[in-house]
This record gives sequence, structure tokens and C-alpha cells, in this order.
Amino acid sequence: MPEKRITIKATRYDPEKDEKPHLQSYEIPFYDESMVVLDALNYIKSDVDGSLSYRWSCRMGICGSCGMMVNGTPKLTCNAFLRDYWPQAIVVEPLNNFPIIRDLVIDMEDFMHKLKSIKPWIIRKQEIPLGAGEHRQTNEQIDDFRQFSQCINCMLCYAACPVYGLNDEFLGPAAIALARRYNLDSRDQGLKQRLPVIGDSEGVWECSFVGECSVVCPKGVDPAKAIQQTKLDTTMRFVLPYGNRE
Amino acid sequence: MPAGWWTRKRHYFLYVVREFTALPLALWLLWLLVEIKRAGDGPARYSPHGSTAFVVFSVIVLLFALYHSVTFLSLTGVIIRVKLFDRPLPSGLISLAMFVLWAVASVVIGFVLIWFGR
Ligand code: SF4
Ligand code: FES
Repeated sequence: MPEKRITIKATRYDPEKDEKPHLQSYEIPFYDESMVVLDALNYIKSDVDGSLSYRWSCRMGICGSCGMMVNGTPKLTCNAFLRDYWPQAIVVEPLNNFPIIRDLVIDMEDFMHKLKSIKPWIIRKQEIPLGAGEHRQTNEQIDDFRQFSQCINCMLCYAACPVYGLNDEFLGPAAIALARRYNLDSRDQGLKQRLPVIGDSEGVWECSFVGECSVVCPKGVDPAKAIQQTKLDTTMRFVLPYGNRE
Repeated sequence: MPAGWWTRKRHYFLYVVREFTALPLALWLLWLLVEIKRAGDGPARYSPHGSTAFVVFSVIVLLFALYHSVTFLSLTGVIIRVKLFDRPLPSGLISLAMFVLWAVASVVIGFVLIWFGR
């Protein structure tokens, strides 16, 4: 039986030589049903064209670094199986809505800046000394934010969000989901410090609930839910007499 | 972003349709204000606008309003968090409650309008 093959069309872009990105086709052997798009890229890099650049690390959906557009949809390439596309060609492009540094590598500076702006750590008004013991939480208290703590910062939600695509000032899905994760944490007291960022016009109110961020999220974080819940919460804080509580 | 981004995916398209439905709804409500103003002159001088084109427009707007309301109310379960005895209520139940409230409100408003209209 002839060897099965698959065509990968990958974005190539060298800012020093190319005016704009273009696609390059590679036909490679599809020798194992468990092969994912990242395996195909690794095959190209090691056996066909060592100059292809892309990010990856864990190969198991944990590090969040291998996000790319696969046939127009943001995916973790280590979790996108070739068998789901074969015999069609697969087009692999850098994540939408971000500047391209080279080939499939995007510039994530803006995302990092946004993540930092919501202070994603536990904030206490007064630190409890270590000797006083741990901050205890019940299972129910953890359940309040567990879903929003699953984010791996893969940025697929930003690539799927047309609002971010149209206005990169928008704080964006993952940053708001992470803010909600800390605001719902019974150990945290930093809500008031995060409010000016999340309640800003470029914060939750910029979102018009397209919902695609939650569709593409590989970890079930449901950032759209975090954003809409935050809208409701901030409104309630504003309208209810006791709303401005901590 | 290319201008045709909303045609790239079914989800984007449905989102744009959902947002667009607000426009004819707003137009119809403006029309309603005009009718209310006309009705303010008293029953003797008022004749309701009943052209076929207007009826067709109203039916289309009604369909848009239903689409907008159904998509919105289906999402309420995702947005609203209600805890009962320290456990969150299932989102399906919250959406269902919203649909029931919607139906009750429609019946009550319809009843009041017909009552006063007689
Ligand atoms: S919310 Fe989901 S899609 Fe967005 S960065 Fe986190 S894991 Fe990735
Ligand atoms: S390589 Fe780590 S998530 Fe894909």
C-alpha cells in the first residue's frame, strides 16, 4: 500500500526579506493516526525545511504555546489531529489579531501587558504572617472559581475575538477570566484594585458577546461567561445600595 | 481585520444577525412613538396605520424580536449566578425561569393593553 501523505500549507514570513506573509506547501508522510499538526510541523522542521519557525513546548495541551490558526480556526496544534483533516490539505497560519514576528510566531507583548494589568495574584489588605497557618477554603469556595483558573494563556480566545481584532485596546477574554478567577477567590481582597481596569470602557463593556472565545477555548474556561458575569456584578455594585462592598 | 470577517464563520454570522435585529426593532419602536403621538389627538381623529406593507414589516420585526429575545434569554443561565443552600443553581433552570417570566410578562402586558384598549 502506498504511503499516506498530507499537504501542510504553512505561513512563511521573514520580516527582513518578505513584504508580506505567504503560504508554503509541504507534502509530508502521514504515517501514524495519532499524528497532530504540531508533529507535522516538527517533521517539516527536522526533515524538510529547518528554517520554519513556530512555538511549542509540552506537546500535551498544558503550556499553551503552540496555538495557531488551523484551517482558519484557532487551535492548539498539539491537539489538532491530522486524521480529522486528511485527505484535505491543512493550512497553518499564525494566530489572528496579533502582529507576526516570523513565520508562525506572533508577538504576544500586548497580551502579557494585559495579563499583568489585572494583577493576577492574591492581594491581601494585610498579609497574614506565614506562621498563622494556611488560608483555608472549602470545596464550594474553590468551585466558585475553579473553571476560570484552568486558563493556559494560549491566546486562542484573542485570535477568535472580532472585538479584539477591531480594537486591540480591549482587555480581552483571558485577562478578564483571570481577573474573575481572583475576584471570586475567597482568599483575595483585590477587587477594588482590579475594578478600574476590568470596569473600564475597554474592559468588560467593550465585549458585545460574540461568544467565539468560549467555543475555541481548549480548557473549557468559558471566558465569555466570565465577562458577562463581571458586567452583571459591576452593574449591581453600581445600582445596589450595598453594592460597593468588598 | 478584513471587512468580511463576519462571513467567515457561522457563529460570527449569527452574532451579526443578532446585533442587526436591534435596528429594525428600533425603527418599529420609533414608529410606535409616532402612532402614540397621533393617538394623543383623541379617538375621533385617530385611524391606525394598517397598510399591508406595514403589517408585513411588523411581522418581520416580530420575528427579529423573538430571535433576539430567545438568544438573549438562553444566555441568561450562563450569566446569572444564583446560589441556593451554598450550591449554584443549574444554568438550564435559570434560563427556564427567564423564559417563564418572559411568557408571564407578555401575557400580563397583552392583557393590560387589550383591557385599556376596549
Ligand atoms: S481562556 Fe481559554 S482560550 Fe483563552 S487563553 Fe485561556 S485557555 Fe486559552
Ligand atoms: S505544545 Fe504545549 S499546549 Fe501545545
